[in-house]
Amino acid sequence: MSLAIAGMGWVTPLGHDVDSVWEQLLRGHAASATKISEQFGDRLYSVFRVPESAMAGSAHPRLRRASAISRFAAAAGLDAIKAAGVKLDSEKAERTALVFAISNGGVIYTKRFYRDIVEAGAQKASPLLFPETVFNAPASHLAAILGITSATYTLVGDGAVGLAAIKMAEDLMANEAVDYCLVVGTEEIDWLLCDAYRRWRLLRSAPPIEPFSEQQRGMILSEGAGAILLAREGPFTIEFAHPGGSFTKRAEAGKILKRILSDLGQRKIDLVISSANGTFIDQAERRALEQVVPETLVYTAKPALGESVGAAGLWQVVLAAQALRHAELPPVLHAHPGITLRLSLSRTPMAGARRAIVLSCGLNQQAAGLRLAIQC
Amino acid sequence: MGKPSSANGKKVTARVAVVAAGVVSPLGFGLTETLESLCNSRDCVSPVIRFSVEQCRCKTAGQIPDDRLLASRGDVPRSRRLHRASHMMIEALKEVVTQAPQFKPELTVIGTTSGGMSYGEDYYRSLHQGRRLRRAPTWIANYPAQKPVLDAQETFGISSPCQVIANACASGTNAIGHAFECVRSGRYQRVLAGGFDAVSEMVFVGFDSLQASTPEKCRPFDRNRTGMVLGEGAAILALENLDLAGERGAPVLAEIIGYGISTDNFHITQPDPSGVGPQQAMERALQSANISADAVDYINAHGTATLFNDAAEGKAISRLFDGVPVSSTKSMMGHSLGAAGAVEAIVCLLALHHQFLPANINFGALDDHLALNIVANEARPAVVRTALSNSFGFGGTNASILMRKSEA
Repeated sequence: MSLAIAGMGWVTPLGHDVDSVWEQLLRGHAASATKISEQFGDRLYSVFRVPESAMAGSAHPRLRRASAISRFAAAAGLDAIKAAGVKLDSEKAERTALVFAISNGGVIYTKRFYRDIVEAGAQKASPLLFPETVFNAPASHLAAILGITSATYTLVGDGAVGLAAIKMAEDLMANEAVDYCLVVGTEEIDWLLCDAYRRWRLLRSAPPIEPFSEQQRGMILSEGAGAILLAREGPFTIEFAHPGGSFTKRAEAGKILKRILSDLGQRKIDLVISSANGTFIDQAERRALEQVVPETLVYTAKPALGESVGAAGLWQVVLAAQALRHAELPPVLHAHPGITLRLSLSRTPMAGARRAIVLSCGLNQQAAGLRLAIQC
Repeated sequence: MGKPSSANGKKVTARVAVVAAGVVSPLGFGLTETLESLCNSRDCVSPVIRFSVEQCRCKTAGQIPDDRLLASRGDVPRSRRLHRASHMMIEALKEVVTQAPQFKPELTVIGTTSGGMSYGEDYYRSLHQGRRLRRAPTWIANYPAQKPVLDAQETFGISSPCQVIANACASGTNAIGHAFECVRSGRYQRVLAGGFDAVSEMVFVGFDSLQASTPEKCRPFDRNRTGMVLGEGAAILALENLDLAGERGAPVLAEIIGYGISTDNFHITQPDPSGVGPQQAMERALQSANISADAVDYINAHGTATLFNDAAEGKAISRLFDGVPVSSTKSMMGHSLGAAGAVEAIVCLLALHHQFLPANINFGALDDHLALNIVANEARPAVVRTALSNSFGFGGTNASILMRKSEA
């Protein structure tokens, strides 16, 4: 079965447009970190937020009460369909599946709903907020906007969930009743998440994210969404959506990443889009990359865009597609010069590049990968 | 949805066997206790004990006793840190592994709505009240929705990739349905599928705030119904290509023969009153199984006992089926959300295997606007060859699966 990317959408802290975000990454730009403060203390956290200006004009009546996570998802999803040149009339919508990838979900409304319970008691809990706390609320909003009446799934997981969602989409598209599958990864930021990741010793107090550094100083959270419209034909082919697997200890992450890379690396690979984010993931990926594809160019956008967890896998796929389309990689920011990987440390042309691997290692025991090729 | 194709484009319609099953719910631990509760039409709903419900309309839920749930945790690594939901998943998977020790899944598909939610509540309350946060790393690490699935897999040395579906109350049926499609298409030979959820304060209060839960008994399809009660549990089914299961001499508990999914875009918490969403899901399941409605002998309804759900589901059932016995076993154990579809698939499996109709308890009189053949208050013997199980959720997600009695 042929599985292709027909269109892409991208909402990031660097903006809301695939080509303009890509251009900024090529120029070595990074998103500006903003500070958010915790509710019960004076601690400040650095985060990469989607600027309000990037979302201007993307409101839909269905999203009037919806949280940022749903608005990001809708904007990216609609962009992907538009980029594919597909008009989803009722007949096409009936033959379109929707798969969402989410990690932390609608944390802003969830926290607000529970805060009301804690502060004022159950009688003050808002019936308007509760439905927006449910993991599949963003998918439900986008299905309603698009008129999708067939299969809609929301997958939850860690940073690898985006690629798991693409794998699930591949399974769904094995059914000939499905012509398109829109895969969306989305996430929103709140101070509560920053506090949680800090206590988990995975967060850095301020940029930069230093990829592949042995010090593992931590990551900076970000938000946004990524979307791809999968079809049977399109400019990019997903040659192999690897099912990945789970690891029980952080020290074992490298083993599964090595297996994924070995399986995906059966063809000539021109670049790897890594999920390195300044945490333990980096060393696991570094070891696997050095052993399996030591000569291949490696890029991670997380120093520029931050760690968007549920959205991250889709962002990586968009990056891989853009790199193949433009035969060029942006510079990896804030990488130490002594790192032995073949990093794209400056804007790197890749004439004739055909295949990319997207590698995703999550913070909570899941890993996945896929191989993408551009049509000649 | 139509018939699937294999990866090489050829149509494949492998038959899909359930070769093992495990369950823990308010009805009991394991298939035997569950069967006994179903046969005795036992009311397993009790006053909520895990958190204060003083300000809630509803005061009850179907709950799993901790003294039993945590009794065997000494056998599980890091067990004191794990969430109750992990222990539920471990119990359910233990039963599967005991029945089918050779079963090596290529994929695990599990539904849930709230993962380790109560750990999130503990963490937030402690922050809010300025308490010590010594346990925060444990709460945070064990809060994610996928963690109980990974914990259960780790306990039994399984490392297959996981797809954790969070389609609200349809999650469990969606998980089994998707797993069924994966095996039927020939893309996979062995898949674990199921669902889990543990009662939590936030979700309990959420349904209470919507006035969806009841201060009274849960009376699905009754003219005097006043809402749902929540429940909890975990259930897992081991699905395998029937031919391969036969080759290795595995016992076949039942077959899954059809799956239908639809999305009803009417409202985020309410179904289209016409019942079009549930009707599409059931029609697609029948189409997927290539059987007609009159081949169905029993319907395990979603049947939450809310005014809106039962009206929409009841209309859809009465339009498609003529007098087929219907019950909602949520009346006995509450609505376990992401686990519900999986636990109710086990109920159907037991009904098929032991040839009886589980009851819809607390039933007085049928809603005047519905034409349904309710299995009222007592389970009864019956010839059950094919059973349909429905699950519908927030966001307009509707799912139905069809199961058939094993021929063996």
